[in-house]
Amino acid sequence: MTIIKKFEPIDSKKGFSKKYLSLVVACLFMLMLVEIWVSNNVVTYGEKFEKLSTISKTLSLENQILENEIAKFKSLNNIASKSAELGFLEPQSIQYIR
Amino acid sequence: MRRIFWIKTIFLLFLFAIAIRLFYWQILQAQFLQSQAENQHFTNTKVEATRGNILFSDGSILVSSSPIFSLYGLPKTMDPGQKVKIAYSLSKVLTGDTNDVDVIAKNLIDKLSQDLYWVQLKKNVTTSQKKQIEELDLQGLGFQQDSSRFFPEGSSSAHLLGFLGSDAKGSSKGYFGLEGYYDGELKGISGLIKHEIDALGFPILIGNFFTQEARNGKDLILNIDRSVQFIIEKSLRAGMEKYGAKAASAVVMDPRTGGILALASFPNYDPAKYFDFPKQYYKNSVVADQYEPGSTFKVLVMASALNEDLVKPDTYCDICSGPISLGGFTIRTWDNKYRPDSTMKDVIVHSDNTGMVFTARKLGLEKFYSYIQNFGFGEPTGVDLQDESSPEIRSKSSWKEIDLATASFGQGIAVTPIQMVRAVAAIANGGNLMEPHVVKEIKDEKSSFVVKPKVIRQVIKESAAQVVKEMMVAAVEEGEAKVFSPKGFRIAGKTGTAQIPVAGHYDSTKTIASFVGFAPADNPKFVMLVRYDEPSSSIFGSETAAPTFFNIAKQLFLYYKIAPTE
Repeated sequence: MTIIKKFEPIDSKKGFSKKYLSLVVACLFMLMLVEIWVSNNVVTYGEKFEKLSTISKTLSLENQILENEIAKFKSLNNIASKSAELGFLEPQSIQYIR
Repeated sequence: MRRIFWIKTIFLLFLFAIAIRLFYWQILQAQFLQSQAENQHFTNTKVEATRGNILFSDGSILVSSSPIFSLYGLPKTMDPGQKVKIAYSLSKVLTGDTNDVDVIAKNLIDKLSQDLYWVQLKKNVTTSQKKQIEELDLQGLGFQQDSSRFFPEGSSSAHLLGFLGSDAKGSSKGYFGLEGYYDGELKGISGLIKHEIDALGFPILIGNFFTQEARNGKDLILNIDRSVQFIIEKSLRAGMEKYGAKAASAVVMDPRTGGILALASFPNYDPAKYFDFPKQYYKNSVVADQYEPGSTFKVLVMASALNEDLVKPDTYCDICSGPISLGGFTIRTWDNKYRPDSTMKDVIVHSDNTGMVFTARKLGLEKFYSYIQNFGFGEPTGVDLQDESSPEIRSKSSWKEIDLATASFGQGIAVTPIQMVRAVAAIANGGNLMEPHVVKEIKDEKSSFVVKPKVIRQVIKESAAQVVKEMMVAAVEEGEAKVFSPKGFRIAGKTGTAQIPVAGHYDSTKTIASFVGFAPADNPKFVMLVRYDEPSSSIFGSETAAPTFFNIAKQLFLYYKIAPTE
């Protein structure tokens, strides 16, 4: 005798698949919206980023100029001429204390 | 049917034409279009590497980089009626001198009147000039940023530093001195930033972004002490004027490490405006000049003979009673005074040429030649400066007895000042020949390389060095320059006056006057050589170079807080 087993689709599995499928679709849709929102927002940051880069460059440049200015004021040639202007003289005789 | 056939054919032909066109755009022109698209979507920014700084031993700046700008104009975007006004406004800013305003303005008008989209108006515009021009708010102008070298100490250390010029391709390249020797370390590697941009040219933050970081040049920290450098430059410049010398040079070295503490030579040049000076000024005479050392060489010959135990300080010279005739020449003492039965110490104290012939004969050519080589003559010292040269020593086989005799008092043999100071440093430090170094440390953001002192070889025994040192101290305290030496300090030194060979003979009126020595003799802090070329007030080293040496030494004693011992 041949037993023919009839396979019936399981109702519960059917429901599970649909539920998750719609969840994935919803997620994808949400992600798409988020991406559009992020893209729209981030686009305006390009200009800000450019401004910040320019400010950063300008500040580094100013920093370099100021460092050089300090070096110029600290140079021994400058100190010697300034001290001469102020009337300082080189020591003429040295007393050593023992 | 016929109509349908033709319509089909026409459609097929159109299809074929479209296929061919697509093949053309997508296959044949693909690369070109891709690059065009990339050019539209991407921007490439070259990030120039900053050239490394050169710093004194205390970390203060000797050379750094400074931003500089090129001013350009866009004549086609300017209102033709405004060009004259713009030119005059610019001219007032670019020239401090009001007399030049018209000349510069006319030159600018000529440039702006050309039928060009872009024209360079002025190079080397300073930051303050740029600011002033920007405040004028003129139309059709722009700036390109560049970099130049900044020298806070002005022309100080010019020969030591060299300068930054351009190579055949127009790229920056260091020449001479440290800029030339360490060009590879200083220049760094430029980087690239590539990112996607929008229609307005702003970066798209979520777009593609590639970056190749620029590697800035490494900083050089020198052994050069800025106070010592300042002292020797000031004293040497004053000495050159006082003694009417054509040129002057001095070098100060730490005998224990070989570190160069200061180096100067005159006439010098401004490294920021090197192009305004004659090319012969670029040469650093301390490392590139060849000269006959004269009597300063005697201490080395004496050290060699003492090291071989061929003479002692109290050995009598039995040929010092008069001039020596040799190979058709007559060898005399510098003052034509003869001291029979002089000891070796007396020979150094009185700088006796006949006594040195006695010493050289004791030594013999083989040993004499070998010691010259061991003291580092005939080979470069290895100092880290680009323009070092080394005079060759004639082959041993060509030496005659007269050559040995004259070389014993430093004539007929050529050396460089750096070779000479290094050889005397070997006496100061107990016999070790050191490799001289200007740079102490090479440093970048991530790592640092410390240049360690390097002993080349031991030339003489410590005991021999000690004996020669005492002879040199006696030469200072009892010799011709004793009136100039600072009292209470033990200084070891030796004067030198070498006649200059001119067209096959020596000119007695033209000399190179020098003094080499070290102090304090018992624990040398520095070894120094001072040299004047053709001094006119006196031809002798004892009256020119020696006073300068002692003047510098006095200042260095104060700087190093060295008190007199007596």
